[in-house]
Amino acid sequence: MGNKFWSILFGVVMAACFIGFAISPFMGWWRPDGISSHAGDVDFLFDVILGITAFFFVLTEGILVYFMWHYASEEGKHPVSPAKDFPNVLKPLAGLLTSQHHVELAWTLIPAAILIYIAVAQVDTWANIKYESRKSHTESPTASLQVAVSARQFEWRMRYPTVARYKKWQNDKKSSDAKTVDEFKKDYESFGKVPQADDVHVVNELHIYQDHQIMVWLSTRDVIHSFNLPNFRVKQDALPGKLIPVWFKTKEGKECWNTTWDADKHRYVDGVDPKTGKVAMDASGNPSKEFMYDIACAELCGWGHYRMIGRVFVHQNEADFLNWLSKAEANNKLRTPDR
Amino acid sequence: MDTHAAHGTEHGHAHHEIGFIRKYIFSEDHKIIGIQFLFTSIIFLGLGGILALLVRIQLAWPHAEIPILSDYFKDNAGRMSEATYNMLFTMHASVMIFFVIIPFLTGAFGNFTIPLMIGAGDMAFPKLNMMSYWILWPAFVMISFSFFVDGGAASSGWTSYPTLASTTMNAGEGFHSPAAPGSGHGQIFWLASLLCVGVGSMMGSVNYITTIINMRAPGMTLYRMPMTIWAMFITAILQAFALPVLTVALILQVLDKTIGSTFFMPDGLTFGNWSIDAGGGQPLLWQHLFWFYSHPAVYIMILPSMGMVSDVIATFARRPLFGYRAMIYSIAGIAGLGFIVWGHHMFQSGMDPRLGTGFMLATIMIALPSAVKVFNWLGTIFRGNLQFTTPMLFALGFVSLFIIGGLSGIFMAATPVDIYIHDTYFIVAHIHYVLFTSSLFGIFAGIYFWFPKMFGRMMNEPLGKVHFFLTFILGNCVFFPMHMVGVAGLRRRIPDITAGALEGRLLPLNEFMSISALLLGTVQLIFLANFLYSLFLGPKASRNPWNSNTLEWQTGDPVPGHGNFETVPVVQCGPYEYGEHGGKDNCPQTEKCAVPSSH
Repeated sequence: MGNKFWSILFGVVMAACFIGFAISPFMGWWRPDGISSHAGDVDFLFDVILGITAFFFVLTEGILVYFMWHYASEEGKHPVSPAKDFPNVLKPLAGLLTSQHHVELAWTLIPAAILIYIAVAQVDTWANIKYESRKSHTESPTASLQVAVSARQFEWRMRYPTVARYKKWQNDKKSSDAKTVDEFKKDYESFGKVPQADDVHVVNELHIYQDHQIMVWLSTRDVIHSFNLPNFRVKQDALPGKLIPVWFKTKEGKECWNTTWDADKHRYVDGVDPKTGKVAMDASGNPSKEFMYDIACAELCGWGHYRMIGRVFVHQNEADFLNWLSKAEANNKLRTPDR
Repeated sequence: MDTHAAHGTEHGHAHHEIGFIRKYIFSEDHKIIGIQFLFTSIIFLGLGGILALLVRIQLAWPHAEIPILSDYFKDNAGRMSEATYNMLFTMHASVMIFFVIIPFLTGAFGNFTIPLMIGAGDMAFPKLNMMSYWILWPAFVMISFSFFVDGGAASSGWTSYPTLASTTMNAGEGFHSPAAPGSGHGQIFWLASLLCVGVGSMMGSVNYITTIINMRAPGMTLYRMPMTIWAMFITAILQAFALPVLTVALILQVLDKTIGSTFFMPDGLTFGNWSIDAGGGQPLLWQHLFWFYSHPAVYIMILPSMGMVSDVIATFARRPLFGYRAMIYSIAGIAGLGFIVWGHHMFQSGMDPRLGTGFMLATIMIALPSAVKVFNWLGTIFRGNLQFTTPMLFALGFVSLFIIGGLSGIFMAATPVDIYIHDTYFIVAHIHYVLFTSSLFGIFAGIYFWFPKMFGRMMNEPLGKVHFFLTFILGNCVFFPMHMVGVAGLRRRIPDITAGALEGRLLPLNEFMSISALLLGTVQLIFLANFLYSLFLGPKASRNPWNSNTLEWQTGDPVPGHGNFETVPVVQCGPYEYGEHGGKDNCPQTEKCAVPSSH
């Protein structure tokens, strides 16, 4: 095989990789639309890193392929001696390139600066997402929607406050009476740790509503699971023996609700396109999965790990959410609650 | 310090006959031990590869009957059960990491190259060296046998996170686990075999460190050592410091699983209707201990390849290695930073998120020495006279694909981005770019490069080039789309991607990757055929077929006997004197260099 063949092979394969990644967003092989308040920041940082790495990918692979092409040995060619054979484009840099010290310094300091930029750029976003969950949200204008999520092989069990308790939180919070506010704080902060007999239990369905923050109290009773909401850019392992807070908020000002009351099925269904208000259909007339939001366990938890999947139901507003909650509460009273 | 004792000569003149068993089986000769590691690693590479192909078949056709093996799955209508799938990927990773890559690099190449390249007669402790290989055999037996125990082999992932892996029945109720079928007997075998592998690596690393410090030939100063040796040296130090932690963790989990201790078991665990009485442990402790070893282990699996690739590239570019000292410092930098970044595997694990920030900063900084190495390899081929032999092609393939593996690492290091891509196929893509298309490419380069020195015969070049050509293309076809499906949200470790709403749309890409993987696996038979054919029928090799400078090519015979060198070599110059040298284009380390290069 010719001496130039290998540089062509490397060039073609690397170009194919680059093109493959570049067309992915248009082929549907890309992240789903982010619908939490921090999704934009996460996606932005991803794109920043993607841009920087794409640049260095093209640069280094380009140099490699060019050198493989240019410096391929030829039959009977005498070994190159150091002073000769600078390609014309690099001649102005010959002084720099013959001094190893300068070159090493340059290609250490420049990447170092870029890497420090990348690292520092992450700090705030990480803090906004993860530290937020450690704060007490009793000071924020409206009380967060609190849900206790208990994972087990292989399902998610959600525990909600009753409608009355939830409404009381929202009212008492705004009260001018210091004692009421104190009691609110106490009751509100006890929710994650202390289950009540009348709490509302639901399996595999996380119900939230638009433009509102959610506080999830995450636990597991057997092995490690991971509470993973890809559409919301949320992921947190549930650790046996620990109660871990997870905080997120649906994206402000974005119509991202996906559930509506289905009178025929007598339940709330998801997969609703907020533009039409109806369950979205795909080309073949089946319900489309575009507006269904998985709670997909992301940490290996046993044989059923792959199908440990719940769904997020985003209601249009608080009223619609409370409507669902009251139905769930009524339903709940008909059953013997298990632990 | 850098001159060695009379060890080499002592052995070189000992021409007493030794029997077959002492010479080839229970051998104390580092070369034979290296070759033993090589053969067992190749066998386990085959096993690990078959496991990978079964995983890929299930991923692409999740609802199909498994061909050939459908009898084995007759309880499940010929389809693979989920538990079997978990077992397959767990054992694929465990075999590839602990029985293929590490034994290949530190066992086979470490053993074979270190004494030869520093001009020593053998290792410092030949008997310990022999033991470091034979202690692997209990591990081989246990890991292979574990497929056949009740419940099957380990199936909790190669990371074996408690409480999935560590749960077991109360005392007296046997070793079945209520958590997962494979976390009963299979998990105990897994832990025990890893213990043996760890002890073996420990013996090896102590030996390598001592040999490199004490037994270098006269004139072989530290800064005249080839990069392979520097890489092996630093890797051995990494192993010596990190392995005890893994050993401890393994023993703790063995105790949890057998005598009912609860190091990793918190209070109040309930599996179905079955509760555990004891508690008080911490599952996160395992993750810290495990990753404190296993992150450095990632570098144990790449640094020796980097060293070997540096030597191969310099040899076939006929150029001095660019930035020799910078290369050493960057290997040391990677190794040093490698000890303080283990937490980046645990950003979403439930440890304090403030720790994440610190671990992120250290992790992103590892990209720096890695980048320096890539630039230096490019600097080495700059103005070179590139000879595209098979080892050179694999070495250049290593550089090209390590760039991808290195760059994709930055995404995971960034904590907010990691929230989204953690435990998706993006990380699977990353690890395979680093371990398959980098480490294994380095191993292939090493095999093609040192085969003549190991066996005195040349491997077939055209077949080698076909092997590279197909492996390079198909490797990218298998692993590159994993980036895309990862970004699209595909979780790792799931046997049926159609279970959720988000992932099913990626099935066509999965099918493409699986078909490529089946072809990639088949292509490796070309290598196997070439290896076996050349072993017996390849053309006889000369003493120094590549015109290389380093000491192993300056021995008297093409395949040196026990003791390696007829007379103790005296090193006169550095290992990378390629380029114009009085009518030749290289100067071996044993000769005085007419035109020493500027560094």
